[in-house]
Amino acid sequence: MAAQIPLVAATSTPGIARNSKKRPASPSHNGSGGGGYGASKKKKVSASGFAQGISMDAMSENKMVPSELSTGPVEKAAKPLPFKDPNFVHSGHGGAVAGKKNRTWKNLKQILASERALPWQLNDPNYFSIDAPPSFKPAKKYSDVSGLLANYTDPQSKLRFSTIEEFSYIRRLPSDVVTGYLALRKATSIVP
Amino acid sequence: MAANVYLFRDARAAPDPVLEAGPVAHGPQPVPLVLDNGSFQARAGWACPGPDPGPEPRLQFRAVCARGRGGARGGAGPQVGNALGSLEPLRWMLRSPFDRNVPVNLELQELLLDYSFQHLGVSSQGCVDHPIVLTEAVCNPLYSRQMMSELLFECYGIPKVAYGIDSLFSFYHNMPKKAVSSGLIISSGYQCTHILPILDGRLDAKNCKRINLGGSQAAGYLQRLLQLKYPGHLAAITLSRMEEILQEHSYIAEDYVEELQKWRCPDYYENNVHKMQLPFSSKLLGSTLTSEEKQERRQQQLRRLQELNARRREEKLQLDQERLDRLLYVQELLEDGQMDQFHKALIELNMDSPEELQSYIQKLSVAVEQAKQKILQAEVNLEVDVVDSKPEPVFNLAAYHQLFVGTERIRAPEIIFQPSLIGEEQAGVAETLQYILDRYPKDTQEMLVQNVFLTGGNVMYPGMKARIEKELLAMRPFQSSFQVHLALNPVLDAWYGARDWALDHLNDDEAWITRKDYEEKGGEFLREHCASNVYVPIRLPKQASRSSEAQASIKGPGPGGSGAGEQA
Repeated sequence: MAAQIPLVAATSTPGIARNSKKRPASPSHNGSGGGGYGASKKKKVSASGFAQGISMDAMSENKMVPSELSTGPVEKAAKPLPFKDPNFVHSGHGGAVAGKKNRTWKNLKQILASERALPWQLNDPNYFSIDAPPSFKPAKKYSDVSGLLANYTDPQSKLRFSTIEEFSYIRRLPSDVVTGYLALRKATSIVP
Repeated sequence: MAANVYLFRDARAAPDPVLEAGPVAHGPQPVPLVLDNGSFQARAGWACPGPDPGPEPRLQFRAVCARGRGGARGGAGPQVGNALGSLEPLRWMLRSPFDRNVPVNLELQELLLDYSFQHLGVSSQGCVDHPIVLTEAVCNPLYSRQMMSELLFECYGIPKVAYGIDSLFSFYHNMPKKAVSSGLIISSGYQCTHILPILDGRLDAKNCKRINLGGSQAAGYLQRLLQLKYPGHLAAITLSRMEEILQEHSYIAEDYVEELQKWRCPDYYENNVHKMQLPFSSKLLGSTLTSEEKQERRQQQLRRLQELNARRREEKLQLDQERLDRLLYVQELLEDGQMDQFHKALIELNMDSPEELQSYIQKLSVAVEQAKQKILQAEVNLEVDVVDSKPEPVFNLAAYHQLFVGTERIRAPEIIFQPSLIGEEQAGVAETLQYILDRYPKDTQEMLVQNVFLTGGNVMYPGMKARIEKELLAMRPFQSSFQVHLALNPVLDAWYGARDWALDHLNDDEAWITRKDYEEKGGEFLREHCASNVYVPIRLPKQASRSSEAQASIKGPGPGGSGAGEQA
């Protein structure tokens, strides 16, 4: 039992960190959670096997501890899922990093930007090197309204059409529909 | 029912039951869990050893989650996948862990995994005690694999994981075991389309190409086309209905230009247009749209105005009449010779001389005459005013609520062949295929083209196989041969293939990434196998995200690739 106590102490601070992941409100929580986690992360990896055996106990104690410390209504699941480690915090989320900044996940563009800077060799395959090349063949022109082959373009609105009826239809369109059709083709730039 | 009128099914997903794992999951060894983690759907199930591998994956759900209604009320928490029922009311609150085909938001990924494990009946305490086979993107960025491995090993405590590519799993499921050695896979999914050459059983990763168009872009294109054509039905043209149209009413033209010429002809159009019936909505009969209502309103307004004018005229007439009478009375005073009273009255009336009085009287009497005449006329007009409206157009209420899907049936799926339809600069499937083939010597090309394999949900349009065959015919040398195969079940074959792989390689230590590997070599480590990505051994610094470790990594460069991936 004596061995349990220090482990409970170690697991309870990450419990705060986990709570603060869901309640990113107070910086004091983050700060203490951050420091504690940094030290205990390595310990946790080796002690995880040990901790799993008593994780059920730790979990029930964790549930009591955070409820006192949480600032607002705690949005925990109805019951904690038994197969998970309740003390897990994503490192990529940056919830505790640099205070309030950087709270969101990186999106694909940011991930790729940082991946580009890694030391790739010339022939290594990576996510951006397998992007298909731009087309060499000239694109066929289709009518915006009906999809048939378009031989003509309306100089006023730059929409393409194939028959006279389509032309009269185009000339009667409200301007938002016209911009909509151009945006569909990504032809909305102001440069003539 | 008129010809070619179709109804939307608007299907709602039934919530998944929490399944009991059952005896299958508790074999002598822990049974692997197979999870096809797709941006459209996630499919999860057990890989059961034994003579009968088992049916479909137990769980198939959309890879989205959304908070319950009404914002963060702290009650139910986020709902996942099939528990959401119909997606449309929550469309703007749906969140997916995926950005294109790569999971980037691992919190949401955690929710999806929780959902899968819970509903599959994982019952081990403290960790998920089963090996996991998980699909990842082609040439998955190292960062995202690192995050995923961290999630799996640290949060769920799994013993070992194997990452693979879904289209490769599907390929291995469909090819007879011995003949698997090379081929060209065209895999079109929800977010992107890949063309993967396979040589000697291994993916030739540096010659793969990916076109960033798939089912979701086709659905978005179709939605915008129909919304621009029917601006009155903006809200009824939803993405779920677009997906339904794509799955059931669209096809791929074997020769696009020729097919369009066919659609020019009005008879062909009449026979082949699909009229999608929208549910009746009374608020659409707004005053802005029906001409007859407009006419009614106009007439009512006219009548009201006329009545108003008539009333005003009468009042004015009365006032003038009274004034005239008074003035006449004053004039009589003058004629009768009562000068004092006359002068007093003149001063009251604010006039100076009898002549002025006279002229004023004259003007007033003329005005009164005119007013009387006008009133008479107006009365006559009102009586004669028969509403003669134009003959009303015959109003077919059902047709008003129908969406006519004609050439859109072939336009929307065509974007993977001609991305210029949607404004993308990338080359289409056919051109990219040619580009890839040209990077190989002639005999390899010959070998690859004998085994072209189509898989992925977005290839299920009728006519896809014929189109690919026609494109190959156009680009291959005269009278050379080629073979195109379609997967037996393009949607689920990736899961079946992953399950077969798991059962075949259960004891093959060369293929699984164990916890020890994760700890020693980092999350981005990958063990290659017949269906995996190619691993490029670049070490990412561990995403510490704790202030102390972050400072340590700033001060000194980490092992390899430091300046790049560190989180500050």
